Amino acid sequence: MAWNNSPFHRSGNSSRPTSRREFLWQAGGGLGGVALATMLASEQSRAGIHHPAKAKRVVQLFMAGAASHIDLFDYKPELIKRHGQPSSFGETVETFQDGLGPWLKPIWNFKPYGQSGKPLSDAVADLGECVDDIAFIHNMVGKTGVHSSATLLQATGFLTPGFPGAGCWISYGLGSANENLPTFVVLPDHRGYASNGPKNWDTAFLPSQHQGTVIFPGTDNPVADLTPARNDYVTSSSDSAGLELLRRLNRDHASDRAGDSRLEARIKSYELAARMQLAAPEALDLSREPQSVLKMYGLDHGRSSFDKEINTLEETDAFGRKCLVARRLLERGVRFVQIWSGNDNGFPRRNWDSHEDVERDHGPLARGMARGASGLIKDLKQRGMLDDTIILWTTEFGRMPSSQAGKGRDHNPYVFTNWLAGGGIKGGITHGLSDEFGYKPLDRDHPTQVYDIHATILHLLGIDHTQLTVRHNGIDRRLTDVHGHVIHEIIA
Amino acid sequence: MLRPHWLIPCIVLVAPSTADEGLNLFHAKIAPALAEHCLRCHASDQAKPKGGLSLDSRAGVRTGGHSGPAIVPGDVEESPLLEAIARSGEVKAMPPQGKLPESLVADFRRWVELGAPDPRDTPTGTPKREIWWSLRKLEKPTIPVLTREDKARVRTPIDAFILSKLRSKGLTPSVEADRRVMIRRVTYDLTGLPPSPEEVKAFVDDQNVNAYEALVDQLLASPRYGERWGRHWLDVVRYADTHGYDKDKPRPNAWPYRDYVVRSLNEDKPYRRFVQEQVAGDALFANTRDGIEGLGFIAAGPWDFIGHAEVAETKIDGQIARSLDRDDMVANTLNTFMSTTVQCARCHDHKFDPVTQEDYYSLQAVFAALDRSDKSYDLDPRVAHSRDHLAHQRSMVQHELAELTQLANGDRLTAINLEIKSKVATPTTRSPAFGYHSALADDAETTKWVQVDLGRSIPIDKVILHACDDGFNGIGEGFGFPTRFKVETADDPEFRRSVRTILDKTRTDAANPKLKALTITISGQDARYVRVSATKLAPRLNDYNFALAELEVLDASGDNVAKLAKVTALDTIESPPRWRMENLVDGDYPAAVGESLAKLKADRQTIIRESLDEQARHRFDQATSELKHLDESTSELPAQSKVFAGTIHSGGGAFRGTGPDGGKPRVIHLLNRGDVRTPKQVVGPGAIPLVDGLRSRFTLADDAPEDARRLALAVWLSDDRNPLTWRSIVNRIWHYHFGRGIVDTPNDFGRMGGLPSDPELLDWLAVEFRDGGQSIKQLHKWIVLSSTYRQVSTTNPANALIDSGNQYLWRMNRRKLEAEALRDSVLAVAGKLDLTMGGPGFEDFVVERPEHSPHYEYKLFDPNDPKSQRRSIYRMIVRSQPQPFLTTLDCADPSMSVDKRNESLTALQALTLLNSRLMIEMSQRLAERLGKTSGDLAAQVRLGFELAISRPPTTAEQVGLVAYARQFGLTNTCRVIFNLNEFAFVD
Repeated sequence: MAWNNSPFHRSGNSSRPTSRREFLWQAGGGLGGVALATMLASEQSRAGIHHPAKAKRVVQLFMAGAASHIDLFDYKPELIKRHGQPSSFGETVETFQDGLGPWLKPIWNFKPYGQSGKPLSDAVADLGECVDDIAFIHNMVGKTGVHSSATLLQATGFLTPGFPGAGCWISYGLGSANENLPTFVVLPDHRGYASNGPKNWDTAFLPSQHQGTVIFPGTDNPVADLTPARNDYVTSSSDSAGLELLRRLNRDHASDRAGDSRLEARIKSYELAARMQLAAPEALDLSREPQSVLKMYGLDHGRSSFDKEINTLEETDAFGRKCLVARRLLERGVRFVQIWSGNDNGFPRRNWDSHEDVERDHGPLARGMARGASGLIKDLKQRGMLDDTIILWTTEFGRMPSSQAGKGRDHNPYVFTNWLAGGGIKGGITHGLSDEFGYKPLDRDHPTQVYDIHATILHLLGIDHTQLTVRHNGIDRRLTDVHGHVIHEIIA
Repeated sequence: MLRPHWLIPCIVLVAPSTADEGLNLFHAKIAPALAEHCLRCHASDQAKPKGGLSLDSRAGVRTGGHSGPAIVPGDVEESPLLEAIARSGEVKAMPPQGKLPESLVADFRRWVELGAPDPRDTPTGTPKREIWWSLRKLEKPTIPVLTREDKARVRTPIDAFILSKLRSKGLTPSVEADRRVMIRRVTYDLTGLPPSPEEVKAFVDDQNVNAYEALVDQLLASPRYGERWGRHWLDVVRYADTHGYDKDKPRPNAWPYRDYVVRSLNEDKPYRRFVQEQVAGDALFANTRDGIEGLGFIAAGPWDFIGHAEVAETKIDGQIARSLDRDDMVANTLNTFMSTTVQCARCHDHKFDPVTQEDYYSLQAVFAALDRSDKSYDLDPRVAHSRDHLAHQRSMVQHELAELTQLANGDRLTAINLEIKSKVATPTTRSPAFGYHSALADDAETTKWVQVDLGRSIPIDKVILHACDDGFNGIGEGFGFPTRFKVETADDPEFRRSVRTILDKTRTDAANPKLKALTITISGQDARYVRVSATKLAPRLNDYNFALAELEVLDASGDNVAKLAKVTALDTIESPPRWRMENLVDGDYPAAVGESLAKLKADRQTIIRESLDEQARHRFDQATSELKHLDESTSELPAQSKVFAGTIHSGGGAFRGTGPDGGKPRVIHLLNRGDVRTPKQVVGPGAIPLVDGLRSRFTLADDAPEDARRLALAVWLSDDRNPLTWRSIVNRIWHYHFGRGIVDTPNDFGRMGGLPSDPELLDWLAVEFRDGGQSIKQLHKWIVLSSTYRQVSTTNPANALIDSGNQYLWRMNRRKLEAEALRDSVLAVAGKLDLTMGGPGFEDFVVERPEHSPHYEYKLFDPNDPKSQRRSIYRMIVRSQPQPFLTTLDCADPSMSVDKRNESLTALQALTLLNSRLMIEMSQRLAERLGKTSGDLAAQVRLGFELAISRPPTTAEQVGLVAYARQFGLTNTCRVIFNLNEFAFVD
């Protein structure tokens, strides 16, 4: 009904666009956001809603299963020194399984890269070219070593389901910049959803148009219901004549019922759907990308089938393809693209949950990720888009510096790594260190949390994270709950 | 105490600008802080202000209390109040509830420095506590007096309230809608389905002046009513058929609660009882089916399976999971029944409502013994009585046995008692190493084998097989044990030569041994390899497997020579730590501890018996045989049903529950900032002190059984004096009829929630409802029979100018069909809706990869499968992977309490209604239905329209649709009809 959910509540004095939006919501009486988002999109994206914005859009790269910081980005020579010695943490450690074996040195060698000389593991060597664009944060801490809750925490800011994904909040705050495409797109691992599945991009109490739209590029129906399900009666002429008839009958119906804007909004939603049917396939079509671009993303291999065992080529293809699709979507105005690497933590492992063998799983996954991610950074840069596109690399937690079953590593929610690039982020720096083993933050009293990452991203998008709130069941909800500090040190 | 005179000059010395600053500070910070934190205990109108100190006037502050002045203006060192709030010295720290913010402490200090200017010549007294509207006592308001003309419009008392309000706002009521509109409106509202063209015609043609009343009665009596309104209730309590979170396992026994809700509404169960059954039905209505099934409420929400089943309560992550689980129970109860938000108080005292952390944790204490688990019960109360009776007799016999045991003594008994004690004391945490598990097979008739290599050929005395215990899909004990199998020995690893079959169960299906060990005695035959071959695999949900926990090979001395031996198999899923080949020989199997304990206990009984004198031994034998008899009688009772509910759980391993401790509630601490690592004082069971006259702490004996806590809460919730409960439910019902509640935040009546648009009307409804038998159907009738409800939904410019949002109901609201109503209507109009009620939810997805995290693939499902053509409320609701069609159409998210649905209009909805498999197929089914009628194409189009829209098409509509049908066929036309705005909206 017209008064559903008074969708935009902000506490305190809201800035002008906010009140205008609020006004429109009320006057529109459940306009449903179709037209509204467009009306507000342009002015907000330039201005930010609370202060001038540095960035307009976000790509989140999510490594599901928990990627090992110490084998990829967070160099720990101490572990090389103590490799094979019994591990000892100076305190009792609770691990998820039984991962308190001897110290295990980084699986790959590290080499310094770029002007900043940041050491990276050989498994992510492809990112070496980009280190001077990247800000690393090595003192991320989580709240739990359980995949589901930890994944939710990184994706939504809460340990329990029922809260909107970060992309939903950003879609909600900034609106659409291209009404023919969804504002928030999710590119899942094509082998299956990570822990919690769609709950990670669910809209929860925000209006449903802010939900992440799942796209499986390269499949028959990459967007659900974009084209009619298989049948023998719908033709393109029956379809267009049917829509025309529908529009006419719906208009007559609405004209007898003046004052209910929802009826007009529904007519418009059908027109928008028709435009989306044209816009989406175009955005997902990689066939006209030049060879040079395909090469950046590692997509120039010319193979269409892969080995049965996990392998670098296949992982590069999977991740690179998503990164390239992401770039095309961002170019066309999508605000937030979430790319997943890793499925449901089952077997055989196509995920980062390397309890048994870090080298076996992390190797191909990391090389594929590094190629795709570096391709994306370089490609955005050459198009001048890196300046206003934030890239966030994250995972649900890290892995222990001690070994599990010889070659594996158990969960480490006590410290892990995030990195950010582009969109106003200061490159070539490392902010926040882990201790000499990569077990906990070096300064245990001042870790970085997901709230700080979210607050910083919102800040760069021109949003004050404490002001973007929605009242739900008596509580003014925010992406950052009651926490979060903008990390000014990583802002250019 | 007299004020020292020397103080006065200090004030005089303060410069005027500083005095201004001080006074401003007083008004801005000091006075509000005193009122909020101090004056409730330190005001002069109190009989005994604490410490004799009154802070409600200038004189009070400066004179001070028993220990001298509170403040010495200008002298921060000599002002004990500063010391008290800074908690820095010997003065008792104030306020007792907790430290004031640093900034406020600094403000006080500055204020004293500035001479503590204080304009309060006369004492202000204890601050009056304003009672928030929702907490005020429920009293029945008088029905407003109306003009004669308006009186004539009144059909139920609701109209009097509404008309009075409309007149006071300068609004005029709208005319009554016609019968076609009314039957579509009220049928959807009460049953969630469209009226058939025949029903529309009959109602429109009915000459009886009471035709509408008769229609309403008929709709309320329809079983469809409970299905419609049950769905509303399930939105609020967050019902689903899977746990949610990681792995999102099915919850196969959740549905009895869903059916309970539907049944309770159809039976028009008094609301008080409905509330009580859901919180403490087992305690208040022992042995009733509804008293148990209602407890599904406590477990309805999401559950962190991993955090409970795989992480023990002794670990921090396990404690976090359980604390959050109780939080969910508390939040669900208070949100649902009282529209009150308490969950903020998990970390800090509620900022806006008077709920302290202590109150909050006292609610956690109510649920402290519970977990979410399957609860067994008897559908038939007579069986339940028999079971109770047998249990009672059993306990008496056991008592007798215990008494006899007291008489027994001797060294042997002492020794065995010690042995048993040590066994019991050893933690029996269930190892996560379940056993060996083959790859999955699509066909049961597949052969799979696993074998051990003893290293050399040795004489074997016994081979023992132990089955697995895995809760997957509710299989539990005996998981993966093959239906047909054989056991062989050989000296050849390939089992081509020297093969000896020592057990052959390949010809007929064998019963699953569950956790009973299967022992094969072969007395000293030599062999190096022992192989178990499954020839018919164990069934899972959609496939087959072979799993074994342990394979023991005993030599003549009884040693297990297979322990840690090399294992090979045809195939294996290798999913450590649970499943891997080496688990087969790790000496760890589910019954291992239990078995040896059972043997010790049996030995103990023999020892006891032997040590008794003849008379006692006779009694002992009698009691033993009586016990056996009682156990047999119990096992002969009809099998029990199960509902997933809030209950005492008795488990092993990580998910132990409180059952092994006799269901004793866990000790609940107040957690500093909600952190399990910083527990503070222990908190007993209670509720929140929202309501005057209702005790918020439950006085229960320390050893009171667990259910006494819930009973106390249930009684407290449903007490006549609890105003929130009654206001909450009538507002929810109102909300679903009009699309907006009298209070627009049905889940929150606190300070962050909305205010009632008409408090008198809300209270009138609440009191009438409470005192009139709490009949929800009666409440519906007051509403749907009212003139207010029967108004047209079209707008009126003059009214719109005053109240564009129709807050005061000068017209009816047009309703957008909810996701379920739309889907059910599509099936009904297509002639495919199956009205079978109840039972396990139908699945409209295909499950892939169930072994780890089940993948629920909706897109692979064929909507023509009749099992799915039932009302949406009977769908198996998967939390992690919501049904795409309904989700796109804004159905409730079962991970959170939904008091009002989102209502959006998006391009994705248009795409789904045009292109989804369901809509494409159902357009065809509708066309087929119409094709079977006798009329020509025009008549068929007309009927299709009437079925969907409940009225004949206008000439323009008919002409347009028929022309389209001629060109593109009836099926395409049906697709258009299903996408009409008028199909999705109800006037």
